Amino acid sequence: MVRGLLAFAAGLALSAPLNAGALTVRVVDSAGKPVRDAVVTLYPSTGARAPKSGGRYVVSQQNLQFHPFLTIVPVGADVSFPNLDNTKHHVYSFSAAKRFELKLFAKDQSRTVHFDKPGVVALGCNIHDQMSAFIVVTDSTWTGRTNAQGLVAFDPPNSPARLTVWHPYLRAPGGLMQESIAAGQHIASFSIRLRPPPPTMPMDY
Amino acid sequence: MRSFRSLSTRLTVQFALLFAAAMLVVSAALSTVISGATSRRVESQLQSSGAVYDRLWQQRAHELQNAAQLLARDFGFRAAVATGDHATMQSALGNAAARLKVRSAFIVSADGKVTAIDPSIPASQSERLWDPLDDGRLTGVSVLAGRPRQLVAAPIMAPTLIGWVVFAADLDPREMRGLERLSAIPLRAAVLAESDRRWFEAAGSMSALSSQAAGIAEQHVRGRTFEMRVAGENSIMLAKPLPTFSGREQAILLLGYPKAEALADARKLQLGLAVMTLLGLLLMGFATWRAAGRITRPLARLDEAAGRLAAGEHVQVRVRGTDELARLATSFNEMVGKIVEREQRITQLAFNDVLTGLPNRTMFQQQLEQLFRGSEGSGSLFALHCLDLDQFKVINDTLGHPAGDALLVETAHRLRHAARGHFVGRLGGDEFVVLQSVGEDRDSIDRLAREILGAITRSVMIDGNEIVSSTSIGIAIAPDDGRDSGMLLRNADLALYRAKEAGRGTYAFFEESLNQRAQERRQLESDLRVAVDRGEFELHYQPLFDLEHNCICSFEALIRWNHPKRGLISPVDFIPVAEDTGLIVPIGAWVIREACAQAARWPEQVRIAVNVSPVQFHRGALHETILRALAASGLAPGRLEVEITESIFLEGSETTLRLLHALRALGVRVALDDFGTGYSSLSYLQSFPFDKLKIDRSFIHNLLTREGASAIVRAITELANALNIETTAEGVEETAQLMELRAHGCSSVQGFLFAEPMASSDVDRLFKEEGGAIRNVA
Repeated sequence: MVRGLLAFAAGLALSAPLNAGALTVRVVDSAGKPVRDAVVTLYPSTGARAPKSGGRYVVSQQNLQFHPFLTIVPVGADVSFPNLDNTKHHVYSFSAAKRFELKLFAKDQSRTVHFDKPGVVALGCNIHDQMSAFIVVTDSTWTGRTNAQGLVAFDPPNSPARLTVWHPYLRAPGGLMQESIAAGQHIASFSIRLRPPPPTMPMDY
Repeated sequence: MRSFRSLSTRLTVQFALLFAAAMLVVSAALSTVISGATSRRVESQLQSSGAVYDRLWQQRAHELQNAAQLLARDFGFRAAVATGDHATMQSALGNAAARLKVRSAFIVSADGKVTAIDPSIPASQSERLWDPLDDGRLTGVSVLAGRPRQLVAAPIMAPTLIGWVVFAADLDPREMRGLERLSAIPLRAAVLAESDRRWFEAAGSMSALSSQAAGIAEQHVRGRTFEMRVAGENSIMLAKPLPTFSGREQAILLLGYPKAEALADARKLQLGLAVMTLLGLLLMGFATWRAAGRITRPLARLDEAAGRLAAGEHVQVRVRGTDELARLATSFNEMVGKIVEREQRITQLAFNDVLTGLPNRTMFQQQLEQLFRGSEGSGSLFALHCLDLDQFKVINDTLGHPAGDALLVETAHRLRHAARGHFVGRLGGDEFVVLQSVGEDRDSIDRLAREILGAITRSVMIDGNEIVSSTSIGIAIAPDDGRDSGMLLRNADLALYRAKEAGRGTYAFFEESLNQRAQERRQLESDLRVAVDRGEFELHYQPLFDLEHNCICSFEALIRWNHPKRGLISPVDFIPVAEDTGLIVPIGAWVIREACAQAARWPEQVRIAVNVSPVQFHRGALHETILRALAASGLAPGRLEVEITESIFLEGSETTLRLLHALRALGVRVALDDFGTGYSSLSYLQSFPFDKLKIDRSFIHNLLTREGASAIVRAITELANALNIETTAEGVEETAQLMELRAHGCSSVQGFLFAEPMASSDVDRLFKEEGGAIRNVA
């Protein structure tokens, strides 16, 4: 179920270049290398079309890591957080899109959180500092993540639009960059600055 | 500069300069080494202080960072920051800052919002922290509110970066002084930070650095130490970069080490070195001066001694040690000794007679003049005795010069003894003088003269020959007989002549008449010179009677001088003068010419006899004169008879004999006159075949009255007969004498008994009247 939804998102992105009116967005870092896992969202000026709401998503805690690292969900999605480790986890989010705290103190204990506002939700574990994951709650159906080549493709309506790029390590307030594109533009490029991922904290800290 | 001419000064200065240069070089090198070592030490001290500061810095940063991280990880704090709970954020910051004793702390959110607890820092400044924080800076110096501060930050992860917690520790004087106290050296520390091209300073005891100084410091960052004026004193500085919080800022840790203090030890060393150098120089100068003195003092003494030697002083220098200078001094002394010796020798040679050792003429002259000066006006008398050995020439010629010299030495010895206390000198040859200071006692002169005569008139053995020497003395008394030395000596000489005339072995005083005689003699000399030319001479002829044939066989030519003023002058008076002056040579030549010319007019059997003086024999060209006279007159050489006396043999008998033989070779006859007087030697008869011996008139005079005279005459005639030599007796005045002579076998006679010398006209008349012979005399 969760996997199906992920496949939906991936398929959405991959099928874009096949269309005649398709838009390809390329994200590179300051060195010109392709950046993967950048979340690109397109807001046409004619108004965003909300993705299909609802659906269930899972962000598990296993081997002291969140899985998956990045999850894109539509507004109104429910995400369950099962603890598959033998240790306790204290999952929290201070993000404006969704604030919560889940004290998952037993194996296979699971809680579900409902994400009703668009935005980025940074997940952390108060017990294990190195654990980090992101849930992007999107309110636009043209939302995709860049592949290993730093590319993401859309089939947007033929109108001017606003493009936002978010990346967990993007060096900008809010981790967000945005750009306007003209109607019928097929290619957009983002060059983003990334800060190094936080060092993995020692376990005994 | 004048003093530099002295060797001592020059040596001193040169050596001192040399040593000074060496010492200065060494000192300079040492000083440089000290300076180098000191600056290395100072630099390493500064560097180590810098390292200490680094560690302090890091410790502080670490402490702050720990605290910041602790705070940043606090869940509640993170929740507060994430949710923007300002009250909680500020209280948490305040709590942590108070614990860390920092005044300023901030929370800089990832989207640039700042929450601060220190109202003194404007938000505009703290908001600028976002960029470096976003760049990943977590520690460093930054200027906040005009003050350099140490910032330490920690990221707030929730779990993504939502901001940073920043602590800003003051770098105030207190902190700096703390650092200064930690240092091993008296350090001054300051942190300079630049922001917006303005320098801000946090200093300990070093403060109020100018921006210019900051610029200098900036130039020397990461460099070596450098010097700068800080707070009015020169300091050795070290500038170390400090990490800054922002890339646009820079910060410098400035460490200062006051040069005076840093170099105090080195200064002490260098001062010591300078003092040592100065002392060394003084010591060296003194030592060199002493050494130069040791070398030059003997030289100066030698120099002074040489000067005194040149001035005539006989100096000796003291010899010390055995070095070259001592040897030089010894040599100098030896040289002085030899010079003195030579001077004495020269003086002796100059003033003494080499043979006898008596003072010579020069010294005598001085002595005499001294005596004249001494006696001037005093009325005291002194006598000059002039001595002349009688017959010295004969002794010299017969016994040889060595014998004559020996006689002179002996005479000098005796004279010195006899006239002891008086000045005795030898003027040359056999001339001696004695100077006698008389006083008033004139008799003492006679006594001394007699004593001298007595001393010298004693026989002396020389080379095995006993010689009876005798002397004559002429005495002149000053000042009566001479006012000066020349006159006195001349008059004494005149007196000596008189003494000789008076008979040998006597003494005579000068009298004014002697001077008169001397003048007369000089007149005679000048008259003689013109007499030949004026024809004042005349020849008289005395016949010689042949006892065998009872006829006149020969005439002896005798010279007469008809002086225009004085009338007839006897040959006895003028012949010695002519001989002394050499005028005998032209006079004698005239006699030979005249005699030959006269004789040529006479009958052929009659010969002419001419007396020839030894002076003619030795000095005149007698041979040529005779040849010319014979040639001019046409007289047969066999009719010319030359009469000589034994005295011609006294001077060089070899040449005499050669000349005699030459005359004989011409055919001229040679007769020996005055035979039996003088040193008649039979050896003459053997060495030359005389034609005739003329027996001296003294024997004839005594023939009848004295016992041995007859025997001598007979011996002579018998000897002559045996040698086939004719004999003529001179001065026959009595018939009895004639009888005796005839009895002895004498060949011919001459004398007043027969005829006196006659003028040539009388001779001519005689030949006319008598027919050339006087027959009936006997």
